[in-house]
Amino acid sequence: MLDWLKHINKEYPEFWNDYLAKFSKKSKRYVILATDATGNSTEKDVITFISAFAVEDDAILIKDSFETILLQYRFLHDNHLSNEYIIESRLLKLSEPEALKTFIEYLGNGILVGHQIQSSVAMINATLERLDCGKLRNEALDIDIMHRKLNEITDDKELSLDELTDFYKIQSTPANSTTERAYTIALLFLKLKFKLGLK
Amino acid sequence: MNIIAEQIADFLKNYAPFNQLRSDELAEIANNVRVISLEKKQTLFKINDALHDSFYVVASGVVNISVIADAEESIINKCHEGTIFGLRPFFAKNKYKMTAKAREESLVYAIPIAVFKPLLANNSEVLNFLLESFASNLPEDRSTQGNLASDGVFYTEKQSEVQFFQTLAYNTTPLLATADSTAQEVAQLMAESLKNNVIIFEKNGPIGIVTHADLASKIATGRYPVTIPVSNIMSSPVVTVLENVSLAEAQLLMLKNNVTHLCVTVDGTDKSVIKGVISEHDLIAAQASNPGVLIKEVKRSLSSNELKEIRSRLTNLIQSSIQKNIPLTHITNIASEINFAILKRAVELSILDLGSPPARYAWLSIGSQGRKEQLLLTDQDSILVFEDVPQEKYIEVKDYFLKLGKKTTATLEKIGYELCPHGHMGSNMMWCKSLTDWIKQYNNWMNAPRENQDNLSSIFFDYELVIGEQKIETAINNIVFENAYNNTLFFDFLGNDALRKNSPLSFFKKFIVEEEGIHKDKFDIKSRALMPLIDSARLFTLSHDIKGINNTYTRFKQLAIVDPKHAEIFLNCAEAYLFLTRIRTLEGLKNENSGQYINLEELSKNDREKLKNSLIPMKELEELIKDSFQLTQFS
Repeated sequence: MLDWLKHINKEYPEFWNDYLAKFSKKSKRYVILATDATGNSTEKDVITFISAFAVEDDAILIKDSFETILLQYRFLHDNHLSNEYIIESRLLKLSEPEALKTFIEYLGNGILVGHQIQSSVAMINATLERLDCGKLRNEALDIDIMHRKLNEITDDKELSLDELTDFYKIQSTPANSTTERAYTIALLFLKLKFKLGLK
Repeated sequence: MNIIAEQIADFLKNYAPFNQLRSDELAEIANNVRVISLEKKQTLFKINDALHDSFYVVASGVVNISVIADAEESIINKCHEGTIFGLRPFFAKNKYKMTAKAREESLVYAIPIAVFKPLLANNSEVLNFLLESFASNLPEDRSTQGNLASDGVFYTEKQSEVQFFQTLAYNTTPLLATADSTAQEVAQLMAESLKNNVIIFEKNGPIGIVTHADLASKIATGRYPVTIPVSNIMSSPVVTVLENVSLAEAQLLMLKNNVTHLCVTVDGTDKSVIKGVISEHDLIAAQASNPGVLIKEVKRSLSSNELKEIRSRLTNLIQSSIQKNIPLTHITNIASEINFAILKRAVELSILDLGSPPARYAWLSIGSQGRKEQLLLTDQDSILVFEDVPQEKYIEVKDYFLKLGKKTTATLEKIGYELCPHGHMGSNMMWCKSLTDWIKQYNNWMNAPRENQDNLSSIFFDYELVIGEQKIETAINNIVFENAYNNTLFFDFLGNDALRKNSPLSFFKKFIVEEEGIHKDKFDIKSRALMPLIDSARLFTLSHDIKGINNTYTRFKQLAIVDPKHAEIFLNCAEAYLFLTRIRTLEGLKNENSGQYINLEELSKNDREKLKNSLIPMKELEELIKDSFQLTQFS
């Protein structure tokens, strides 16, 4: 709670200050986020993949997307894991600080949307802290919560992404990659947004 | 390019015209796609929306493309996966001419025009593909295009539909010759009868045709002597069609076979009896009586005689349209457009004669014309409103407009619209007034209907601008709706007016027919069936504050939407109204009058039953009126 006190005299990296400056305006842009991490612990685990699509005016903008692999040399090394398959793929690969920096620049003041978004946000926040930055300021929407609100479901059972896609009869290939997951979430979000009458 | 863009590119690759693009171009497009999710019945764009900056491809689901004529929505095209639609922004700068609505949950890809256009320059096939599809104005043409939903010119005009069902008048006594006659004999035959073709026949049907073109290219060039048997120069085989071929079909066959003549035979093959020959000229002639042409001619005509001629062609058009079972709503739309054009032209002709008006004015049609329901020649009802002018000029201005009114009504009478027996016309001193006076008049009518009963008629509440200032009509509209709000007294009057008409069926469900006069034993469909429906529709629209809809059928449709509780009654009434109008129009066409009195004996048993059934919803409507409005003061 006294977070801001801790940081009050801290020098933020420049990109973070730029990011904070963007919040003077309200955004109409939604950023649909899906991340992959090595586990659930914010302490021990690290993010390995970030994918995002922007939604503006009720349309998914394919061009306005973000996709990057995070090269976690240290983590892999510490855990004796191979990174061959990552090196092989032709996707954009960045180191953790670089990746986070470009992501923050991409994200701007957009409204975050995801499936179990809080865990993604927590993960990102933990990473940001390692980079001497503050926490994400973005509003975050969770499609699972939106779904429950729409259908007035009160029990606490969380639905998986697959269950949601089945529920809304979204035809898509089983979301294997993080990017496909982000896209599926985006489709779900468009539907939920319409049904909930969000502007 | 991420994996989703790749998937989109893979999807597009399967469909024309994307299959003609290079993979880097495709990648560029896929990268710029916007994905839009449509819920069932969600609209993507509708008629008169400003153009979007992209066109669309259906990724999944079905999107219906439709045009809306009044409350009727007719679907032109169902776009399935891979279909391109919404191409209009490519070629036109105005607004959308149709509505795109998802039939089920659908995904569409929006491809920005700005991205796609540069590719067109390098890919002439793609450009041609789009141009052809957009410009094609034959519905049959389009179905061969596969995956492209054209929003070209053809369907943008609802009147064209009539045209395409129109049958052709053609030469039923074609020139005939046998295969062994000489070219000279055939040419002689053509010259004598001033025809440009001869059908060559054998005993079991036509085998070929000789036209001017054949003679010119084969004889006049000296390739063959004039004495040669005609079988050497005829075009063979001749394209044959069935007897009742439609204009569109004939056009298509000529284009397809690249010929100028079609031979009509009994069963449509070249092995049966010859019935006639259709030439290109017949097609042109058929098009001349299409609604679009009629309107153009109205605009150009200079005398009441010309207008009269056009009006009689309109009657023919209505008759043939009704016989072809074209929806009555369409016919009414077309007919009223042409009627309005005639009215407008009549006023313009008077102005040409009298000089330009000294003040702004509005010529409003009232009654059936105002409701745009005039199919047959009925009487004319109109009012004239002119803007307020200074006192000293008033007499002069009113004088001008009275003259204008008189002249116009006289012209209309010549055309065939009878004068209104009650004098509800712009030529009448009482109904040619300044705006202030009209406002006063409406105020009086609506707030004290009892005192003004003698000159108040419900037809004054159906009005439509024919020519003049739109603002004046709006002003009157405002006054009417302002006064109508919660005006129980006025609704009471209208309600009684609607119910006063005599009921159509007796207690024993028998038609009540006229008991005396020249129409003895006939059923008065106008005052016993149509008027109550028209009056009730007006009453309900006024009380529900529905503006701008004058047509009875559309009123009922709209009421069903506004008042869902009684939707069924309203919808039944709408259908009943259509059927009754149809009966009346047929009767009118048969007897060349207004069709007010129906001879029940002449109706088929089926029609009689249907007529009886369509009178039943009126009973429910009557109950509804009694429930909704307290009809105490005037009964």
